[in-house]
Formats: sequence, C-alpha cells, structure tokens
Amino acid sequence: MTLSTPHLLGIKDLLPTDIRLILDTAQQFKDVLQRPVKKVPSLRDVTIVNLFFENSTRTRISFELAEKRLSADVLNFTTSSSSVAKGETMLDTVNNILSMKVDMVVMRHSASGAPHFLAQHIPAAIVNAGDGINEHPTQALLDAFSIEEATGGLQGKKIAIIGDIMHSRVALSNIYLLTKMGAEITVAGPPTLIPKFIKEAFGVNVTYNVKEALEWCDVANVLRIQLERQNQPLFSSLREYNLAFGITRKLLDSIQKNIVIMHPGPINRGVELDSDVADGNESIILQQVENGVAVRMAVLYLLSNREH
Amino acid sequence: MKLLLKQVTIVDKYSPYNGLVKDILVIDGHIEKIDLLITVSDATVIDQKGLIVSPGWVDIFAHFNDPGFEYKETLETGVASAAAGGFTNVFVLPNTQPVLGSKSTIEYIVQKSKSLPVNVLPLGAISKNVEGKELSEMYDMFNSGAVAFSDGLLPVQTPGLFLKALQYVKAINGVLIQLPIDRSVAKFGLINEGVTSTRLGLPGIPAIAEELLVSRDIELAKYTGSALHITGISTAKSVQIIKAAKEQGVNVTCSATPYHLTFCDEDLADYNTNLKTESPLRSNEDVLALRQAVEEGIVDCIASHHLPQNRDYKVCEFEYAAPGMIGLETSFAAVNTIMPQLNTQKLVDLFSNNARKIFSLSPKGIDINAVADLTIFNRGTEYVYSTASIKSKSKNSPFINKTLKGKVVGIINKDKVYLNETTGNEG
Repeated sequence: MTLSTPHLLGIKDLLPTDIRLILDTAQQFKDVLQRPVKKVPSLRDVTIVNLFFENSTRTRISFELAEKRLSADVLNFTTSSSSVAKGETMLDTVNNILSMKVDMVVMRHSASGAPHFLAQHIPAAIVNAGDGINEHPTQALLDAFSIEEATGGLQGKKIAIIGDIMHSRVALSNIYLLTKMGAEITVAGPPTLIPKFIKEAFGVNVTYNVKEALEWCDVANVLRIQLERQNQPLFSSLREYNLAFGITRKLLDSIQKNIVIMHPGPINRGVELDSDVADGNESIILQQVENGVAVRMAVLYLLSNREH
Repeated sequence: MKLLLKQVTIVDKYSPYNGLVKDILVIDGHIEKIDLLITVSDATVIDQKGLIVSPGWVDIFAHFNDPGFEYKETLETGVASAAAGGFTNVFVLPNTQPVLGSKSTIEYIVQKSKSLPVNVLPLGAISKNVEGKELSEMYDMFNSGAVAFSDGLLPVQTPGLFLKALQYVKAINGVLIQLPIDRSVAKFGLINEGVTSTRLGLPGIPAIAEELLVSRDIELAKYTGSALHITGISTAKSVQIIKAAKEQGVNVTCSATPYHLTFCDEDLADYNTNLKTESPLRSNEDVLALRQAVEEGIVDCIASHHLPQNRDYKVCEFEYAAPGMIGLETSFAAVNTIMPQLNTQKLVDLFSNNARKIFSLSPKGIDINAVADLTIFNRGTEYVYSTASIKSKSKNSPFINKTLKGKVVGIINKDKVYLNETTGNEG
C-alpha cells in the first residue's frame, strides 16, 4: 500500500484510505517504540532536512526523534541561524539545501500555502509541519490516532474543537480529517475567533457556548490561544477569555458525562485550560505527544518510498 | 504616413458611417477618405477578414510605475503594452516614486510621453503623497494635464478628507476615482472571505470591506454633487448599490476589471499568486452579477487595473506576493472571450465612448478630415496567449497559456501606426 500523494501538504489532499494507512502504520511504529531497541533501519541513507521558518520546539523535536528512530540522516535548519534574515528568498534557501542531496523536507512556515508553493518548485518530498493558519496535518493525524486509542474509533464520534478556530491550523486539519473519517464536529469559541463561513465550508456545528459544546461531545480538543498570530484585538483580555471560554474543573464537573480532553500544546494554563483539567484523569495530552512520534514515523516512512 | 484599411466595419455611434463596411484611407494622422472602394498605390494596406474599426480605446486605471519602479514598467514599455492591447489613451496612476502629486511630476509624464503613440494621461494624487491626510494641489495639476484624480492603490479612507476632495474639484469639474477598499475591514485579509478562504486557510477580505466604501462614497458624492468614479467593483451588492444611486441621479459611474469578470476565488485553490488582486477575486455568484451589470450598462467601462510586478514579487509564498496583474494586452480579449454575446457597439462603449464621456475626452466621430484616433480589431480570431508575445516589462498574467478570442490588429493615433503581428486562427 502507498499513499495517493507524493507530499503531505495537508489533510485536504488525502483520501480516507490514506488516513487509514497512516494510522495503521503508526500503530506498528508505536509497537516498535515500546521495545527496548526503539530504532529501525527503514530510512537508512535517507537525508531529511527540518526547515523551520517559524519557531517550534515540540513539533521539531517530535519530527527529529521520528527521523532518528527511522535511522535517517537529519539536518536542522531554523530561521534564527539561517540566511533568511539576510534577505534570501525561501526558494533560494531550499534549493541551496537540496543541492547538497537532501531527499525529504519537513517544513514549518508562517505563511499559508508556503509548502504548496515549494512543492511546485522542488523535486523532494515535502511534509508540512504547519503553514500559517492553514494546516498542521501530522497534528491532526496524531490527534486522530489518540482519539481512536482512547475511544475505539472515529466513525460517528462527536468531537468539539474549542478556542481560537480562526488562527489555528490544528483546527482546520482536524476538521478535514475528522469529517473525512465520519466523525461529527462542533466548533466553539468567541465569535471573533470563528471564521464566518466555517459552517458552509465544512458542515460543522457552531456554538459560542462552551458548556453546550462540552455537554454534546465525546472528545473536546481545546486549542491554544494563538496570541502570537493575532495581529488585531479579537477579545478583550485573557482573564475574560478564561471566564467565558476556559475549561475549568468546575465547568467540567457540572456536565453529566465523561469526556476526553485533548490539547495540541503548549498549554496556556489558566487561559484556555485550567491546570487541574490539563493534569486530570480526562486528559490524554501526554499520550498525544507520545503518539506524535509514531505518527510522524509512519508519514515519513510512507512518503520515502522505501517500503520493503 | 499613408495607411489603407480595406473593407472594415465602422462601429462608432458618433460617425455618419456607423455600421457600414468601407475602405478608410489615413494620411498623416487624418482620415483622408472613406469610401466603398479606395485604391492607392503607395499606402500600407491592411486587408483582413472581419476587421472592425472604432474610436481609439481608453483605459482609465493602469500602473506604468514610472518614475520610481522602472524595473517593473516604464512609460515606453507601458505604452507598447497599451498599443498592443488596442488602447490609444491610458490613465496612469500616481502610485509612483515620487508620487504624481505636483505640477512637476504631472508635466514629467506629459512631456516624456509626447512622442509615444499612446496618449498617457496622468491621474493626479488626491492627497499629498497619497497618504490620505491633506489635499494635494489638484488645480495646479489639472492645469498641467492631470485628467482626473485618485490615490490609486491607497484609496482615501477618511470620509472627512474625501468629502473635501469631492467639493474641491467641483471648481474644475474634476472626477475622483476610488478603488473601493475599506482598509480597516480588509486588514490582514489576502483573498475573498468565504468558503474558499476558509478551506484554504487564508485570511479573508469580506465583501463588506468594498460595499462600505461604495456606499459611503456615494453618500458623499450625493451630498457634494460631485462626479465620482468607482473602479474595480467586485461584489453583487456593490452593483446593486451603484444601480440604485444611478437611478436616484447621483453623479456616479463605475468600472470593472476583466479579471473580476473572468475568475472567481475558487480559482485560487493552488495559491496562484498571479490571481492575488486588490480588490480580491470574489465568489462565482459575484462574477455572474458583475457580468450581468456589464450587459445592463450599470458598469460603464472596463478598466484593466494593469499592475506590473516582476518575477520575484510573484514567485514566492502567497502571503508575501504583491497583488495585481498586467492586463492592457488581454483586457479586450478577456471580455470578448467570456461575453461573446455583447454586441460590438456595447463593447466600443465599454472600451471607449463611456470613458471619453465621463472624463471629457472629446468623442472623435470617424469621419473624413477627422483626426485618426482609431483601434482596429476583430472578434473572431482565437489564439493562445503566450509569454513571448507580452510587450509589458512584467509577465505577471494568469491568462498565459489560456485560449483567448478576439484580436487587436493595431492602433492609429498621433500620426503613428502600431500594428500587432498576425497570429491565431480566424473563427
């Protein structure tokens, strides 16, 4: 089995069979990661560059670990140490790196569509590690993997995505993935942080009432307030955000059912999620991180065309 | 100069020969003779099937980037592009460096373009340095040759200033041209806000960013009784608002671009930077409403919004790409291709007569002894638009490699003749 696409630019381009293949392959890698020897030789002699045009710690580390577990040769490139600051275009930067014979590119960029642009101009396989407010496909895949693990499947599940939907590439990738796999979605948050046309675009439910969303759902994926991506005032204060939209222990205890709490990290504790919820029994936040490595191994492996 | 046009259809409602097929002899910039059959031994002869001759076309919103950004376009390359597109008159925008905002810069354009085959008519800046804060010296610019006034890509945002500007130009019967974008609403947006922007993860520019400015400026024009021209309208609601204002007798006219009539936001699915424009490409329903408005005459003119950008500004991430496209060379063919049902008289109104009327350029009825300011074209030739054919200094066009129908054969203006090479198949 192979993927229907040479790159992973977004979940938008994947078929349900692609998603199934990645999740099943990830399960195999997760099993490998439980063994005493966690490294496999699958990508020996494959060189992968992690191109991060935007700050990231956990995604970059997760990819790097996945690459090392697959025995790939790894190059890291971040803007702080790059020539981008000297005014070189992204295309020049990438072509310079590729001329050193690099096979795959893992890329994060602050502009939506940047990996799609790159894919039109370079021969290497590209994995999108987050582009602007568009997509973060490996996050959605690891979220799906974690939901399946916690609840037994995706089909027919009710998933609430709560918080800054407008500036979240996690939200968009999750919506694409979960709708393709038959789950039902409600987005919740302040009206200024929910795109006006989200219902028409995806057929999701929209509510501005977090309690209502929590009462409805099986799983609540709580998003980080992307203060760094908001360049205009979209809510009054973090305090008011927490009061109106934050998930507190009291709120969670007031609903009459058990739900699963997820968060892509890093958490703004006391803003979108209170500490006793983030660290509570409902939370699978650390499992998400663990699953991230297996899912990224699966994606890199499947895109490398090194199947045996 | 001696040129003989054989068996051409004359389309000009100000001409006694309107609708007739004739031979036209042009000598030294004047129409010497119009007759059923003219034979001259020493003239250049243009003899092709299906040729139409109309008064020279007018484009009211083009960027020639001179002075300041000559790496994108110069007066010479801009004129070459205009001539190839069939235009004998082009209004150039003041978004240059320095801004066309004083007598000296207006005179620079007028003087430098004097010997070129196209009339380059400068649009003076409404506000000093197009900053939207203080009025510029519009009377002085008018006397130096400014055809009308606009802040171009940086439309006046403050209602108070725009009100004063509208009042101010009444003394010279001036017209103000606004690109309707409310920047505070459009802020950070990259494409039309809608299902497509949501699905592509691109920040949206709501239609209301345009409609607010259209409504506001119409109210101001109504209050002042001044002439307002709104250019590059893109939404169905804008059409409705303008239609209602015209019915009320407000002195407002408008123009649409060929690209807003051709493409919609769904065409941006692969982040094509050549389709990044201001105002943005709107929904398919908006495109259909705009075409309808062209047919009904609510849209007065076609304006190319010719905006050259060099490769580095377009071969990059969508967010960082500069907006706009070149358009003078495809303006007519694009409209003719998507709206083949428009009658030729209507096309000539859209490309020539209406703009001449709005901006007080004298209509030049095609007649014996009249000055020859003519465009020669056909509506049937099909061809693939290619980069190699582009006369503009920049090549940022989404029409490249697309099949277009309708070809400009050439122009005659200022005692000069410009003829395109003949390619394509007669349809």
